[in-house]
Amino acid sequence: MRALLLLTLKNLKLLVRAKASALIVVFAPLLIILILGLSYNTSAPYGLNIGVYSTSFTADVESFITTLQHDEFKIIKYDSMDKCVNDIKLGFIHTCISVPESLAIESNVQKEIVFHLDPSKINLVYMIQETLKSKFNLKAQQLSQDLTQNILTQLSTAKTTIGDKKGLLQTAKDKNTAVSSQTDTIVSTLSSLDLGVSESTYDLAVISDTGSKVSTALDKVREAKTAFEGLNVSSGDTAVLTAALDEAESKLKSANNFINGTDAGTIRSLVAILEADLTSLKSKLTSASTALGTASTDLGTAKGSLNEGVTAIDDVLSSLNTLQTNLESQKVTDASTISAPLITKIEKVGPEGTYLNYMFPALLVLVVMFTSLLLGTTLVMMEKNSPAFLRNYFLPLNKVTFIMATYLTTVLLMVTQIFIILGVSIFFLKDSVGSLPYMILILLLASSVFTFLGMGLGYLFRSEETGVLASISLGSIMLFLSGVILPLESVSPLLRSITFFNPFVLAEKLIREVFIFHTAWSGLWVDLLTLFGYMVVLFLVILIAETLLHKHLVHRFLKHHHRLHRENDKKDTGKV
Amino acid sequence: MVVQILPTRPWRLLFLQSLKAKTFIYLKTFILFVALVQLKEVTKEYEKVPILQGVNINIEEGDVYGIIGESGSGKTTLLNMITGFLQPTDGSVLYQMDVTGPARDLSVDLHKVKKQIGFTPQHNSFYPQLTVKENLFHFGKLYKVPANTLVTNVKNLLTFTRLFEHRNKLADHLSEGMRRRLDIACSLIHKPRILVLDEPTADLDTNLQREILSLLQQANKQGVTIVIASHHLDSVEEICNKVAIVNKGNVFCHGLIDDIKKPFLKENVTITLKPGGNKDQVLQLIRRLPVEKIVDKGATLVVYPKDIQQTVSGLLQLIKEQNLYLNDMDVRKPSLKEIFEMITKK
Repeated sequence: MRALLLLTLKNLKLLVRAKASALIVVFAPLLIILILGLSYNTSAPYGLNIGVYSTSFTADVESFITTLQHDEFKIIKYDSMDKCVNDIKLGFIHTCISVPESLAIESNVQKEIVFHLDPSKINLVYMIQETLKSKFNLKAQQLSQDLTQNILTQLSTAKTTIGDKKGLLQTAKDKNTAVSSQTDTIVSTLSSLDLGVSESTYDLAVISDTGSKVSTALDKVREAKTAFEGLNVSSGDTAVLTAALDEAESKLKSANNFINGTDAGTIRSLVAILEADLTSLKSKLTSASTALGTASTDLGTAKGSLNEGVTAIDDVLSSLNTLQTNLESQKVTDASTISAPLITKIEKVGPEGTYLNYMFPALLVLVVMFTSLLLGTTLVMMEKNSPAFLRNYFLPLNKVTFIMATYLTTVLLMVTQIFIILGVSIFFLKDSVGSLPYMILILLLASSVFTFLGMGLGYLFRSEETGVLASISLGSIMLFLSGVILPLESVSPLLRSITFFNPFVLAEKLIREVFIFHTAWSGLWVDLLTLFGYMVVLFLVILIAETLLHKHLVHRFLKHHHRLHRENDKKDTGKV
Repeated sequence: MVVQILPTRPWRLLFLQSLKAKTFIYLKTFILFVALVQLKEVTKEYEKVPILQGVNINIEEGDVYGIIGESGSGKTTLLNMITGFLQPTDGSVLYQMDVTGPARDLSVDLHKVKKQIGFTPQHNSFYPQLTVKENLFHFGKLYKVPANTLVTNVKNLLTFTRLFEHRNKLADHLSEGMRRRLDIACSLIHKPRILVLDEPTADLDTNLQREILSLLQQANKQGVTIVIASHHLDSVEEICNKVAIVNKGNVFCHGLIDDIKKPFLKENVTITLKPGGNKDQVLQLIRRLPVEKIVDKGATLVVYPKDIQQTVSGLLQLIKEQNLYLNDMDVRKPSLKEIFEMITKK
């Protein structure tokens, strides 16, 4: 157990005392944690730059922009669609949104919002798409709510109007009921009128006969009278006359009895019957007259009620007309428009391609980065640890020559590799042949930067293993902070702004723009200059490092070998 | 076989320069006593701990100069200051490269001086993955040796170092002796005026040591001044005309070996007797001679005479007259090693 402890302590001591090992074992995890901590120490979910294009930045558009700004998107307004799209290609913005100047839905036609996305940023494009879609869904939901609210307001108004007008209809109903009732009463009243006439048949012939007889008798009497009065006739004559008159008289008496007698079949009785009938008829007519009077009154009342009903119905009709007008003013009637008033359309700013197309720039730069870093480090390490290192000290050459030789070696190897890779890639990516010369230039520039970085590490570390490990670590960090694996937009804003200066990011961006978007050089000069600046600065740093460290390295080299020889001497015998 | 290592400059120019240089060098060396390399009051400290103190050495053109000392005595530090790897804390290292001009301080004109220096460190200093020929051409070209001269130089050096047959072998595949010879060839490819070697015979067997020493002697004969730091004192004594003995950070003594030996000369005669023979008779004869002391070591007698010449001639006369038989009689001076041991024991 004690031995185990001693061995463990010894190992720890050795690790800590070997500076490179200590650096890697102890500080590398801390460094990684620090970088990760700095990277993701942010609560802001997105760091997207969003270009918004609209023909006019109306209140609707501004409201939409405000919605996006709430989520810490950086909004850049564009008045030209082409510029907006071009800025995506140049990487200044992540997406360009074409927004109609008004988002108000005035018909059954949905409003279309167009996203322009860079498809080559395959690890970001879906995030942008989903993120912005959710924002648009919110806006669409808001518009949908407005539309639905509008309809509901109309319905509420209709409900209130109907509620208000319901009293009128009730009144109209009551009035109609009253009219109905009164009508019933009138019907009943009128039904109750006995307009029946006695069915008795009056013997009018009797009356005619009697009248005739009376007339005749009358005529005869009149004639007798007339003749008697005209003649001076003795009593003898008078007897005849008198007999005629008597006969007449008798007949007249009989007529008189017929007319004035009480027996049935006499005119009197007839008249009595007629009188009774007339009395009855008179009574009935009186009743009918009363009934008519009542009916007339009732009908008057019914007319009033009906008038009121008409007025109420007119009012209701008017309200219904208003409701109809209001409802007709609701132009959005299509359910799909109401449920989804905004539709999004996604357009890709680059040509359609396979994932290989999109990943190709990153893959190229990745290969160049790791190869250059490792070659740079290895070559410097080889030279530093070469037995000939000391002899080189005496060569009449300046330091720049040595640095440039290492650089040139790497570049030559890189040129070969680049040509092989691009040569093979022509078979898969035939459309990009035109951009290959530019890509080669950019890759050479990138390779130079990474080579100098690798060389710097070579000077910094002592053993080849630690140097190579450091190169791989540096390459991994640059790769990690490049957006190829994880989108840069998810790291903290401070680190994000730093990572834009990552040579890997710069090179990958340049290659992507040339390879995918065929961007002109004029649009790339800033990044090109930055890379070139890196190259120059790193060269100077290495030159200074070489100047400062060379003596130290020679010293260390000598010391190391001298120590080895001393150890050999101790083993040797017969020597001083 | 002596193979001429060609100089790097055209022969006419070289001739004129050589003539001029030789004249001035001889003038300076022998009349004005101006050395090729001068160390003046050189002190070196590491973290305020003195490693070397007040070193004054002159290395003249044509010298084979040995720097000897125990491990850790400071001889490699001294060598590194001569080559310019290290700068003295105090004092200066001067090179008289241009015969007409002033001596150049190495700390100031290192770039100008160092191309005249050939250095062979303790370890091999060439590219193991290049062939012998490639190594020589590589360094020759970097020294800007003209192409024709370089071809001849390489050929001559390959012959000189007996590596011609191995010229196309990877340096890594050579034996240790060949590697050491290749290293020396690489140091001589541009024909430096001074060749500095740190332990050139270390880790080599006796035959290989002799090979290397012979090589160095030949180089010296062709005008290359040689400075060797070594603890193989026998080798140093064999090849060097001058030495500097470094002990505990001080140069105890320096100069011609004979001059160094002078203070330590304690001449004696060692007589090895015939086993079971005439020891008493020999002792009686020796006592007749003017001797200070006789040390009886059994089979040998060490005689300390008052006058070495008189004693030795008298002894030889008596041996002849008495017809005595001796196994051996050795009359010798102390070796450099013995002197060194005496110094370090002090």
